[in-house]
Amino acid sequence: MSTTTQAPKALRGVGNWIDDRFHLAKTGEKNLRKVFPNHWSFMLGEIALYSFIILLVTGVFLTLWFNPSMAHTTYEGSYQRLNGVEMSEAYASTLRIDFDVRGGFLVRQIHHWAALIFVASLVVHMLRVFFTGAFRKPREINWLIGVGIFTLAMLEGLFGYSLPDDLPSGMGVRILQGVMLSLPVIGTYVSMFLFGGEFPGEDIIPRLYMLHILLIPGILLALIVAHFMILWHQKHTQYPGTGRSEKKVVGTPMFPGFAIKAGGFFFFVFAVIVALSAFVQINPIHLFGPFTPTAITSGLQPDWYMGFMEGSLRIFPNWLDFQIFGYAVPIGVLVPGLVIPGLIFGGLAAWPFLEQWITGDKRAHNVADRPRNAPVRTAVGVAGVVFYGILWLAGANDILSHTFSISLYWTTYFFRVAAIAGPIIGFIVAKRICLGLQRRDRETLEHGYESGTIQQLPSGEFIEVHKESSQETVHVLESKAAVDRIDDEAIASVEESESDGVEAPAARGLKGKLRAKLAHWYTKDNVSFEGVEAHTGHHLHHGAGHEEHEEMAGSH
Amino acid sequence: MKWITARRRHPLAGYVVVLLALAVFGVGYALVAPSADRAEAQVMAAAQTGAEPAGGETVDIAQGRDIWERSCASCHGLNGAGSDNAPDITGAGGAAVDFQVSTGRMPSSNPDAQMPRKEPAWDREEIDNLIAYYEQEIGQGAGPAVPEEPPGDEPVRSDYEDEDAYEEAKASYDEAYDAYINGASDTQAGMQLYLANCAHCHSWSGAGGGLTGGHWAPQITDATPRQLYEAMLTGPGQMPVFTEGTVTPDDKQELISYVKTLQAEPNAGGIFDLNRVGQVAEGFIAWTVGLTLIIACAIWITAKQRAHD
Repeated sequence: MSTTTQAPKALRGVGNWIDDRFHLAKTGEKNLRKVFPNHWSFMLGEIALYSFIILLVTGVFLTLWFNPSMAHTTYEGSYQRLNGVEMSEAYASTLRIDFDVRGGFLVRQIHHWAALIFVASLVVHMLRVFFTGAFRKPREINWLIGVGIFTLAMLEGLFGYSLPDDLPSGMGVRILQGVMLSLPVIGTYVSMFLFGGEFPGEDIIPRLYMLHILLIPGILLALIVAHFMILWHQKHTQYPGTGRSEKKVVGTPMFPGFAIKAGGFFFFVFAVIVALSAFVQINPIHLFGPFTPTAITSGLQPDWYMGFMEGSLRIFPNWLDFQIFGYAVPIGVLVPGLVIPGLIFGGLAAWPFLEQWITGDKRAHNVADRPRNAPVRTAVGVAGVVFYGILWLAGANDILSHTFSISLYWTTYFFRVAAIAGPIIGFIVAKRICLGLQRRDRETLEHGYESGTIQQLPSGEFIEVHKESSQETVHVLESKAAVDRIDDEAIASVEESESDGVEAPAARGLKGKLRAKLAHWYTKDNVSFEGVEAHTGHHLHHGAGHEEHEEMAGSH
Repeated sequence: MKWITARRRHPLAGYVVVLLALAVFGVGYALVAPSADRAEAQVMAAAQTGAEPAGGETVDIAQGRDIWERSCASCHGLNGAGSDNAPDITGAGGAAVDFQVSTGRMPSSNPDAQMPRKEPAWDREEIDNLIAYYEQEIGQGAGPAVPEEPPGDEPVRSDYEDEDAYEEAKASYDEAYDAYINGASDTQAGMQLYLANCAHCHSWSGAGGGLTGGHWAPQITDATPRQLYEAMLTGPGQMPVFTEGTVTPDDKQELISYVKTLQAEPNAGGIFDLNRVGQVAEGFIAWTVGLTLIIACAIWITAKQRAHD
């Protein structure tokens, strides 16, 4: 009987030998059975992990030949067109990787495409976590680590882009230096320190190289490991559904089901990146030519993840610059180059704590929110995405202008207005859509779904037959809290305090009042599901009953 | 109708409708919108006279005058002194005339707007006649003349009576072209000149770029070496003039050779070069192709049967 499930004797022997010493069987079994929820959006973070692994492996390959030196040399190599051209060792060795090292060109392109995919997958992963509220207690620390990984990944990309010392590299470093110089008082010192003297000097590439291959990847690796250990310990969030609760995870066990999926997925990610690298030319440094401080070109951008900073620099007006005691304070560089990115990343890091403070929700959450059930959060997220997207587009304004034959100035004027109006419109539209979806959810929960079958009643009236939704759908819809407004009590206590002199402890002082107001704003429009039970709606009096509910909801 | 009724609630029906609507609007717009080509065609039809077959060696000043009076004088004036909507071109030189007319920018269909490059309104022989008339009657030797050394337009089959004559002309043109391009040997000089003086408008690849005030720097990859040379000599539009003193003829040759060699360079990195637009196109592809494919795969491997509702 048991022979069918037992491993071969030799394997058992080895297994027992190991288990006698490390006692792995127990922890191993527990971890191998760990359950992973089955939803595509939980795979987004894995794309980032896999592309990071690809970056590490290809990066090691590239370091074998890359020479991070700004020493002057005259190129003599396989690339005929640039023979006899003076350049730095860094550029010459990159040409060598491209044209003399077997497979070098492909690996360099894999490294670059993987970097683009890596940061893109970080962004979509982060958006998923944000919009489903997966950053809430107990996962705030992992959110902070994620924000750290995102920030470092951008820097890592910028420094890597600067290493080959080709034309766009040098221009990128020049912009970096310009932003540093805009720092009041310390700007010049910071720049002189980083460059070891005046721009470009002889030191910047060896220094960026150290940061790019040692320091930042080291920190990134540590953060990614921490991210995973915390995830492993806390487990995934999961979407609401049948059998899923704050305490019970439903999904595929790690082994064999999920391991096979994840392994296969790695190869798919790798295949897509290699296919792009094989067929689509990226960052053709041999065409750009080496950087010299006199050279400058239009139509070059940073890689996409720096695009929003480029855009904010491009559209920010220059009429706010001023001088103090003869020292220039270039607001037109300082604000778009440092303050705006600082606000974006600072806002990302602060949001979980801000939301917790506003809502007063200190409970642990393992079931993810459906974005529509947290309309203000979703709307804030959309506003952020629109703001980022506008800046990102503005970073390509010259390409947009030339490609679509639009006047360059008009793109700037448009983006200036859109950077302010766009997020506001995005906020309103997203919130209204969420509330509409909430109403539809209540409708579906009460009445079932529209079957498409039209029936004529004896009275002659036509109705559409509603059918009961599946158990799964009912469970998903019921996941919304009956009333998740936190306005009435808090606001009332604030108002009472003004008349009676008795203050609710939570609403004391300016901060308390502000909190109460924010909490009201955060939840006031939520559609109440109070008293709604599945499939209890009156189909025939559909219209009248519905409007009553609508009234009640509106009066809050 | 039954076919549609059976499928209109299919999960993909919505996408199909959107795609169809996009296709209808796209194709419809393309049909209705006035295209630059058609506007040009009208100009050309108006300008075409019974063109003489090519092969004549002598210059026909009378035909040049004819073209001038019919297509240039209405704006630039009979004596080339200009008017309210066109500049005085008496001092522009034959090089400017050749550049403007052989790149199709003149005659202009809208004197207030920057003209894009298009098919010239006249064939090579007629343009030569026009230049000859200009040099004799209007410019009278002022301004730079047409540079003869850099090769101009490639021979066009329709200008020749038979295949052999065309082949012969093409062969000698190619020879002259290669001699001119390969005659420059100092890549470094050409690269430095181009990247310091040209690339900040025309971009590193020669693809052009946006300029201030609604202008743009045109793509220069279609230009012949002679047109590039003439542009430097005469500074059309927003472009500054690079005289023979500031950039010597040898340096101009290096520069032109750099542009043309870079343009002819194969794309070592893959068959898709994204028009050498650079990072914007790369980022676009990373999101729309790379990440989209990967996410589609994630959706596929985690898919399960949906409850029907």
